[in-house]
Amino acid sequence: MRALLLCVAVLAACGPKHAFRLSADENNAYALREALAKRQLPVSPTPINASGQPRVFVLTSGSPKTIVAYDLAAGSVLWKADADVQSRIFVGGDFIVALEGKQIVARDQGRGSPRWKVDVEGTFIGVTADAERVYVTNREGNTWWLSAYAGSSGKELWTADASGQLGAPGAHGGVVYVPFLAQWLTIVDGRTGNTLTRLRGIDEQISTLRVTSQVAYYGSKQGMFRLDERSASGKRTEATYGQVKIPAQLERTTYGRDAYDPIQQAYTAADRSRVLWSSEATTEGPMKLTDDGYAIHYFRYVLGFGNDGVLRWAYSHPRVELIASEHTGYVIAGVASNGDIVAIDPRTGAVRGRKSLGTTQPVLGATFDADGWQPTSAGEPVDTVGALVTIVRDRDARFDRVKELAATALAKQPGANVTSELLAVLSDNRAPLKLKDTVVDLLVARRDPSSLAVLTEQLAVKTDYIAKTEPDALGPVAKAIAGLATLTLDPKQVALTLAALQEHLDAANTASSDLVQVIAAMAAIGGGAERPALASHLLLYHADDDRGGDASWQKAIVAGLTTKPGPQERVVLRYVARDPRSKPALVTLIQDAIGPD
Amino acid sequence: MTHGRWLWVGLAIATVGSPTPATGQPAKKGAAAKKPAAVPPELVAALGGADLEAAARAAEQLGANPNASAHDVLLDALALGLHPAVAVPAINALVLKPAPPDGLALRRYAGHANPSVRIAAITALASYPDPSSQKAIVAGLRDPVGNVRNAAAAAAGRGNIKAAIEPMLQLLARGEESSARGLAQLADADLSRKIAEQLGKVPDATLIIALGAILKRADFGPDAVKVEIVRAIGKIQDPAAVNALTDYIDSTPKTPPRTSRQEATLIVEARLGGK
Repeated sequence: MRALLLCVAVLAACGPKHAFRLSADENNAYALREALAKRQLPVSPTPINASGQPRVFVLTSGSPKTIVAYDLAAGSVLWKADADVQSRIFVGGDFIVALEGKQIVARDQGRGSPRWKVDVEGTFIGVTADAERVYVTNREGNTWWLSAYAGSSGKELWTADASGQLGAPGAHGGVVYVPFLAQWLTIVDGRTGNTLTRLRGIDEQISTLRVTSQVAYYGSKQGMFRLDERSASGKRTEATYGQVKIPAQLERTTYGRDAYDPIQQAYTAADRSRVLWSSEATTEGPMKLTDDGYAIHYFRYVLGFGNDGVLRWAYSHPRVELIASEHTGYVIAGVASNGDIVAIDPRTGAVRGRKSLGTTQPVLGATFDADGWQPTSAGEPVDTVGALVTIVRDRDARFDRVKELAATALAKQPGANVTSELLAVLSDNRAPLKLKDTVVDLLVARRDPSSLAVLTEQLAVKTDYIAKTEPDALGPVAKAIAGLATLTLDPKQVALTLAALQEHLDAANTASSDLVQVIAAMAAIGGGAERPALASHLLLYHADDDRGGDASWQKAIVAGLTTKPGPQERVVLRYVARDPRSKPALVTLIQDAIGPD
Repeated sequence: MTHGRWLWVGLAIATVGSPTPATGQPAKKGAAAKKPAAVPPELVAALGGADLEAAARAAEQLGANPNASAHDVLLDALALGLHPAVAVPAINALVLKPAPPDGLALRRYAGHANPSVRIAAITALASYPDPSSQKAIVAGLRDPVGNVRNAAAAAAGRGNIKAAIEPMLQLLARGEESSARGLAQLADADLSRKIAEQLGKVPDATLIIALGAILKRADFGPDAVKVEIVRAIGKIQDPAAVNALTDYIDSTPKTPPRTSRQEATLIVEARLGGK
């Protein structure tokens, strides 16, 4: 009997652990505190690899694909190895691991050679690693499995089954975080496979994990929790929870990969639209973002925002997209599709470092192991205006909405050159119409007196068959000029502007829609000096079928002459109102404005 | 400001209710009463009336009227604004007796939205040698409407406007025949050589029109320059070159003998197979 009991006990110890159950203890403050205390984490952001050197492991395309291990501190390639990588790469102490073909393959981190391989039964869900172990989730039939392997040998250390869906795991410091049924985050002892505790999201799904060397974040597309003792509440308001303002134009942006999306367990385009942040430990209130701000990587752009959602800075990567990015604590590191590596100061957007992988193959994805990296080699000046201009001028139609965001941010920057750049959008035949509409509104709303000279310069372009020119955005420019009317403007500049507008008023080919804006602008800024020109214009066309019969023109010219009309304007208006050749609608407008004779 | 005068005219007429002299100076007291009978009041009324056909006829009749006040009536009507169908005959009538104040009115209509009105105004401006009028004609060469450019080129040639040469050379390069003819009217020896040098840069047919028109000008010379033009035409392979030279030969008397005619004859014979 004793032998039988012993045998049962041994079998029980060797079999799968039952870590994931629908009913189990959850949101237990004591258990959470104990679990957190079990973690062996560095005191400051530090790479996980045993050398402690910042590294990036890049996957480049080709047949086969190639892993490039790169030492960020030294600026040199450590090794390259061909590999049929099908997942993201995860970094351990002296190894890296990924799904290659249908096997989990760990490679020696110093040389790139395969160290061990294990088959994945059923469907691969996800893989991760800490310094010593590899953790794999997979599904066989209606059972999901979490398994641990020794990073050094590939020896299976333990397995745990689940009767509900597991997400891709994350790990650091000897514990594994496993999303369970989109509702729980189970914290498992990496050494034994025992469940330490689990958290239930009471008012938020748990589908996203981001694990750094020091901090674990969990949450969803809605926002992220910083894992700490307050997580036991399960509630946003009582935990260290953060939600950043993601501009509507960057709608695809997420806080991290979806642990339940099998596609996102490999490198995908989803990696190119990410919120990038770090946070400070707090004991109360919402998540405290470092420097009260965050950044968003959106394809080739990285945009820095304050907590209030106001854009602080912008970075536009030259020519190609940033494929992967990571907030390392001190910099935002990114890898571009051509192998460029860039480190950006998250406070200012200044480029702190640039390197190159020297690869000829396009980059498919990358995993940074670079927490704490602080490059100081490049001290490039911050050029937010330049970056925003680059975004606005980007020809890529995928980014039309981002261009609107950039134009909006650009319009808030001071300086006449900003007005010039906005006007350049209007002159660009290939700029999307929606963007042009946005820019027009921005120009009007900008109300920058120094813009008047720039706007006037824009009026210099006329219809010219020989020079093959047409007025550039005449209507919008005139509208923007009218928008400056209530500001204090330089009288000499106003005179020049008025003269330039009058040339378009008198020009044969000014489109009716533009003419209306020209008239309105003259009336807005002219201070009365424009009235003889407007009166002459009215007389010239009041008997004309085309222009004289144009309702918008009628309204504009009558409005222009009846804003504080003097005796002379009244005489002209009355003459036109009495003239039998005048269009009835024009006569009505005049009589409504100045009254009957 | 140019618009000041028009405003004044408008105000004066609107206030008084009848046309006033508009010959460049404000009306003096009693001036309108001196020659009122010379212009039938019904013509004045018709010109400013809503019946466009009657107004157009009135404009033509006013143009034919020898009385100076008829001109003033036209000028005032233009100042107050006319329908395009009336403005064109009014401009054509006005220019029958050009007077310095007309330029201002014509320049205003040279920028009118209606191309027919612009054509009439630009054509009329050729009769006014002042720099402002010439500038308006040169501006017409840049008009997007071809017929307006044609009118401007013709006016530039007729008005001998040197400032029009450069833009007309550019239009020549685009094959505009009106500029070819306009340049031919303006050409002196230097300009004719410059035009001849455009071979290969200008459509052959257009270049032939320009050079052929220069050759036909009785006032153009000396004959040595004509020889150069004949040879320049001879280099053009287009069959129209032979026609141009033949036209020149036909329009030039055999005697006294001219080298340019002989040269043209030789080229034509060679091109036609040694007849």
